Amino acid sequence: MKLLSKISYYHFWLSAVVLGITGSMLFFFLRNEISKEIQEQLELQTDMVAHEIYMGRTIDFPLINITKGDDSLMKLPKIFKDTMIYDRLQKVTEGYYYFSESKKINGQPYRIMVMTTYIGWDNYSKAIIYIFLSIAGLLIVLGTLVNYFISRRIWKPFLINLKRIKAYSVSSKEELQLTLTNVTEFKELNNVLIDLAARDKREYNALKEFTENASHEIQTPLSILKTRLESISQQPLTVDIARLLNDAKQATIRLSKVNKGLLLLAKLENNAFTDVQWVSIEAVLKRNFDLVEDLFQHKCLHVEKHIQSKVVFASQFLMEILISNLLTNALSYTPSGARIIFSLSEQLLVISNEGEPLSFPESKLFKRFGKGATDNKGNGLGLSISKQICTLNKWQLSYSYEKHMHRFNIHF
Amino acid sequence: MKVLFVEDEPVLLEEMETYFSSHDCICEQAVTFGQAEQKLRDYTYDVVVLDITLPDGSGIDLIEDIRKSHLETGILILSAKDSLQDKLNGLNLGADDYLTKPFYLEELNARVNAIYRRKTLKGVEQITFDDFTMHPSSKSFFFKESEVSLTRKEYDMLIYFVINKNRVVSKASIVEHLWGDHFDQSDNFDTVYVHMKNLRKKLCNISGKDYIKTVYGMGYKFTY
Repeated sequence: MKLLSKISYYHFWLSAVVLGITGSMLFFFLRNEISKEIQEQLELQTDMVAHEIYMGRTIDFPLINITKGDDSLMKLPKIFKDTMIYDRLQKVTEGYYYFSESKKINGQPYRIMVMTTYIGWDNYSKAIIYIFLSIAGLLIVLGTLVNYFISRRIWKPFLINLKRIKAYSVSSKEELQLTLTNVTEFKELNNVLIDLAARDKREYNALKEFTENASHEIQTPLSILKTRLESISQQPLTVDIARLLNDAKQATIRLSKVNKGLLLLAKLENNAFTDVQWVSIEAVLKRNFDLVEDLFQHKCLHVEKHIQSKVVFASQFLMEILISNLLTNALSYTPSGARIIFSLSEQLLVISNEGEPLSFPESKLFKRFGKGATDNKGNGLGLSISKQICTLNKWQLSYSYEKHMHRFNIHF
Repeated sequence: MKVLFVEDEPVLLEEMETYFSSHDCICEQAVTFGQAEQKLRDYTYDVVVLDITLPDGSGIDLIEDIRKSHLETGILILSAKDSLQDKLNGLNLGADDYLTKPFYLEELNARVNAIYRRKTLKGVEQITFDDFTMHPSSKSFFFKESEVSLTRKEYDMLIYFVINKNRVVSKASIVEHLWGDHFDQSDNFDTVYVHMKNLRKKLCNISGKDYIKTVYGMGYKFTY
């Protein structure tokens, strides 16, 4: 729920409750006050009637009723009550107040009763409800409108900043720039965010430095190992020692590949590739294919190609890696004499090859070292790197197995 | 060929120097930025092999200096950082090639020779052994006067062998040279064998001499 709707929602219920309470209070106070006034008025009227009788004048008025009686009348209490009287003109029964009091005038007890209409409380209450409902409605509608326009102004810097933060990447060279605002909370938020971004950037740089240093630190001893092992190979060796030496060499190669692969993945995750340009996938595919054509021939693989031209805006370096990884994969896992199909269109690159179904869960295919160390083909990072490259370019790399064919699809 | 190795790791320096010296190169070394600067001021080299990370500076900064004073000097960056940015920076500043550690000495030798042929000899050089002549710039290959046809991979392999003559070249090193970083899988050893066998047969048929020896378990050795 948007902040504005949330505020309006609470605003609505608050208004409803406040207006409900104040409306009823108004109604009851008003009724009480008016009753009192009417009673006073009726008492005065009674007194005036008594005065008229005292003066010996006769009173004949429909809403006044005078009864002569004996002393027992004097025992009756003053009564102030409401009653119903039929209004002939309006043709409705309406509520009236009446007041009756016993008075001794010139030694004669009288019971005097006066009446007056109380102008229909029903109408009063209706009027009050209507007025209050309109107040509530206006408050909510106008309140929301005002809220909306004020919010737009107040929240504007916040929303602009939100957009900038969304677009911000710690790997970019620019610092995080935020729009100034005079709202204290937003100011504080801005400060915190700028601090946070600066800290993230520092940590990111430290991590990057660490990764590069680690690479340096590992690659140099590896170089020494590699060159020394090659130097040993130059000596006359017995078959046994040659075998031992070979194992050591293979392990060195694997280690250096894994190290390179992991570094590449780290860089991919940090989005450290900025050499984006228009790259022809068709050309990359052709170049890599030409390079390894003899390897395909050697394995007697039947290659079918359905290639259309396709250009993407991406890192040339990464495109080479992506395509060569997929080619290596197809090359390594296609049995001799089987079929490989490459097809490239505007939306889709498909590399499919014949082969037995996967011996491990499909979900592990794109995971680092997902297939386990059971075979010595590859370093267990190739597909994970490919996946990451696609993700970086917002493409989808998917796998399927149907009709005895492994299929890798890239949706551009 | 006169080569300067700028590298702070003594073992690598020793290996490079030993190997290049055995291939008729005059080698000099610098272990610090300062030393390298000094040597580059005082002497001229055909090729400089430059490590980027030096104890007292970045090899990248040396490139511009070399370019200013010696246009003909070839520069090969040898870096432990497999960083695309470093590579692009280096090549933009005028370096001729870039090789990432860990590397094969044979590969370094092949690359340094290629730079030397391109820069110093302006690509007119021939590589000769016995009666064979290779013209790397046109990728042609002759026995005496008649041209011998080789596939592209056989040609690349032959240059690699000739440049690294008298050395046991491992299959892994050949795989990396022929197919690059991305396809250097041990699966491809068989294909190396096939190319080597074909090449050996062709050379043998023409000259009657077997140049390539298989060193059991290790690789191949080219001698003439």
